[in-house]
Amino acid sequence: MRRGISILLTVAAAVMLSGCNNSRQIETASIIKNVSVDRRGGQVVYTFYRLSSSEKPWGIDVPADSFEQACALAREQYIPNLSLAKLELLMLSEDVYRQVMQDDVDYISTQASFSPIAYVTLCDDGAIERIKETNRTQSLIEEQLILLKKNNPSVNINYLSIFNNFARRGEDSFTVPFISSEKELKVSEFEIDREKMKKTAK
Amino acid sequence: MQTEVKFSSKRFLLALLLCACSVILLQNNDLSPNASFTFNAICIAAGLAVCFLFFLPSLILKKQTDSDVLTLARRFTPKLRIPIAIFYALYFVYAALYFLLPYIDMFHTKYFPEVTPCLITFIMLLGCAYAACKGVNVISRFGIFLFLFALLTNILMFGGSLSELDFSHYSFELNGEFNAFMQNTLYFVTPSFIAVIFACCSGVTRNFRFRQPVFTLIFTGLKYAAVIFFVWFALGDYVGRQTYPAFVLSRVAHFGPFAGIESFYLALSTMSVFMIVSLFLCCISRGTCSDGNRKCVLIFTLIIFALYVTATYINSVKEILVNPIPLLLLTFVAAVMLPAAYIFVGRKSNAKGN
Repeated sequence: MRRGISILLTVAAAVMLSGCNNSRQIETASIIKNVSVDRRGGQVVYTFYRLSSSEKPWGIDVPADSFEQACALAREQYIPNLSLAKLELLMLSEDVYRQVMQDDVDYISTQASFSPIAYVTLCDDGAIERIKETNRTQSLIEEQLILLKKNNPSVNINYLSIFNNFARRGEDSFTVPFISSEKELKVSEFEIDREKMKKTAK
Repeated sequence: MQTEVKFSSKRFLLALLLCACSVILLQNNDLSPNASFTFNAICIAAGLAVCFLFFLPSLILKKQTDSDVLTLARRFTPKLRIPIAIFYALYFVYAALYFLLPYIDMFHTKYFPEVTPCLITFIMLLGCAYAACKGVNVISRFGIFLFLFALLTNILMFGGSLSELDFSHYSFELNGEFNAFMQNTLYFVTPSFIAVIFACCSGVTRNFRFRQPVFTLIFTGLKYAAVIFFVWFALGDYVGRQTYPAFVLSRVAHFGPFAGIESFYLALSTMSVFMIVSLFLCCISRGTCSDGNRKCVLIFTLIIFALYVTATYINSVKEILVNPIPLLLLTFVAAVMLPAAYIFVGRKSNAKGN
């Protein structure tokens, strides 16, 4: 009798604690894998790319002044179940980084759900176009970033180190990765001048 | 049923070591943000030195009588037995809430915001009550498994954060003020609650050596120093923006593309808090229950749960329960004054006997 009750309780607990009652298919879960930021017609546009099993990425364009505003708008109007916990890459076009980078990294640092080691990189417009074509581009970029960090440990490739560089006093500049797409994707170093960025942001 | 078979003192102190180490896992901006690593290392040494002083009376008691405060209260002062048992029971209820509140808050905000915190607390307390009914011996056996798991988690957490260490911008210089020293040292005295568990349960252990609690406190200090080191050098200013630095450290840990060991951290902190609350309930049971009676454990579990619910809805109650100063004052009475009194009473009765 006691054994029977224990088995019943164990099975009930296993079913209740498994988390399957609120499950969603990956296609409908709206898990965002990467975000690109560029300028179109004078307006900053944040593109949220969803995790999907298809070869071609599925992105949603959200015009906004900052990442915080873009996330709020995306949740309200486009993707109600938006999840940014698995965000791996934030790509900022060279046209917009001075305007949004510092504020966006600052906003991300206050959010518990974001991973502090997600990659942040600057890029040209060609790279932004390439990421729209195939899902393989993101893995290629990430591989290149890891290689760059290995060859040059002083380059800052994630939110954590970029936030710390913005927060630090004393130094005027620091380096981040830059992706260019002249023939194939190529990652190099890019120096960020903090004083210039502050003036542009104002 | 309470197991009164004597077991190894080493195993008991291993369980206490794991309880002491869990304090740093649940740290949530309790330390001064301006204090450097070297400054915090000094605070750790000062805090744990105070912890050792808290330990001393019960160590002397154990060495002299091979017994604990609750047993001696029954033997030497039968009239005071009930007030002393009630005092210890209330102390452990208070201390259980002191650890449960931040743990459930962390669990709720970081992992499952959709689940009611009261439900998590209820399930956790049921598990603790069951373990407490099994006794200190069984819980300390679980400590061996937990020790191995903690070792694995720490290796992953620290090993995975090595690539983020930044010695060029964050240095070993000694930065900090007197107020920061007081605040941080006060925080590092928190593990002194293990001295109270020792004072209440050491009677069921054998082969006690004086060096065992010394090693326990040294290892606790090393663990704290390691966490503070990685938080200071790997997370830098970022940690000021986030709650629960040890949790952030587990998120930052990565081996190439494989990132985040939050689930290991969650499991370790869950099992550590489970062990702390179970040991507290065991101590309550030793003081208040007659052998084989589980009712008291259930009653005190319900009291802890009721207080947790009250603290959730009434903020002033929560503020009192998470305040470290009342806990330290009560710890001083429970770990220093009462055992010291029984050292005196024991000597007096031995003198009469002779």
